[in-house]
Amino acid sequence: MLPDGTLEVENIVRGVLRDVLGISEARTAAFDEETLLFGALPELDSLAVAGVLTEIEDRLGILIEDDEVDGEMLESFGSLARFAASKARR
Amino acid sequence: MIDHYDWPGGREAMLRFGPADGPVVVVAMPLFEEANRTRAFVVTILRMLAERGIASALPDLPGQGESLVPLETVPSTDEMGLAFERAVDGFWGQGRKTYGVAFRSGALLDRLVALHGRWHFAPQNAGDLLRDLKRIKQASLGQPLPEFWQYPDPVLVDGPHPPVEIAGNLIAADFLTNLKVDTPLDTEDGPLRTVRLDTDPKAADRHVPGAALWRRTEPDNDLALAELLAEDIAAWVRTCEG
Repeated sequence: MLPDGTLEVENIVRGVLRDVLGISEARTAAFDEETLLFGALPELDSLAVAGVLTEIEDRLGILIEDDEVDGEMLESFGSLARFAASKARR
Repeated sequence: MIDHYDWPGGREAMLRFGPADGPVVVVAMPLFEEANRTRAFVVTILRMLAERGIASALPDLPGQGESLVPLETVPSTDEMGLAFERAVDGFWGQGRKTYGVAFRSGALLDRLVALHGRWHFAPQNAGDLLRDLKRIKQASLGQPLPEFWQYPDPVLVDGPHPPVEIAGNLIAADFLTNLKVDTPLDTEDGPLRTVRLDTDPKAADRHVPGAALWRRTEPDNDLALAELLAEDIAAWVRTCEG
């Protein structure tokens, strides 16, 4: 069964950022709605974005289209988690 | 030890571990950048298999690892699969039973090879590999790519087309096109065991805890996961051996 609860998806996105970027559990645990990601998190360069999106696809069983990926979606932990949750619910 | 094998395109190196007789596990690494990220992890597993009395071989494939064949001259996974087959044939010739162990997109390479059994970890199909490569290319360019992104725009003549540089790898445009039709072999073609991470909801014979090292931006290792997988492979080989 695919996860569809927002909190569950949020934790999956948190886990993806931890695993793909190799950052600590403590750091990702502190991520909240306002935590800035792309452009603010040094580990998240453009190549790492590709890995993060693909891993989110794998874990949630969703497909993210190229034209859905933009700066706004990647701006903050909140925006990325909301996007992932909206895709998982479809 | 470092051994080698011959295939129609030349001679490639092959790392070997474990005893000189009995069944052999021949390993197909993930393709391209994921190979760099997982090589230490895979070698750790093979050393652990040797401790369990099971021999293994890790052949370099054309265009991968230390191969002298330029990647941009490799037209498809079939060519890598042919080399993999020749590495396997060497053990058949010695009367040893051979098992294919593939990680991620390595699962695309053992489909044309006669094996006593296959064991796949987090296998990636060709379509997903192609999506990955396109996404990495897009990320490096910072712009969306068109449908036939692997060819120059506009495509004025039939090939040869220049290779595409993706994260430091020069990949033939036709290789990328051929990925659209590649698919791993399914269970109807002999005993197959599939293991995935427990974060991966796709079907598998077993889901195991651990992190997706192949997505890490820097190579890493996971000794606990390596131990678990070495034990699973060893048990699978013993089961197939009856």
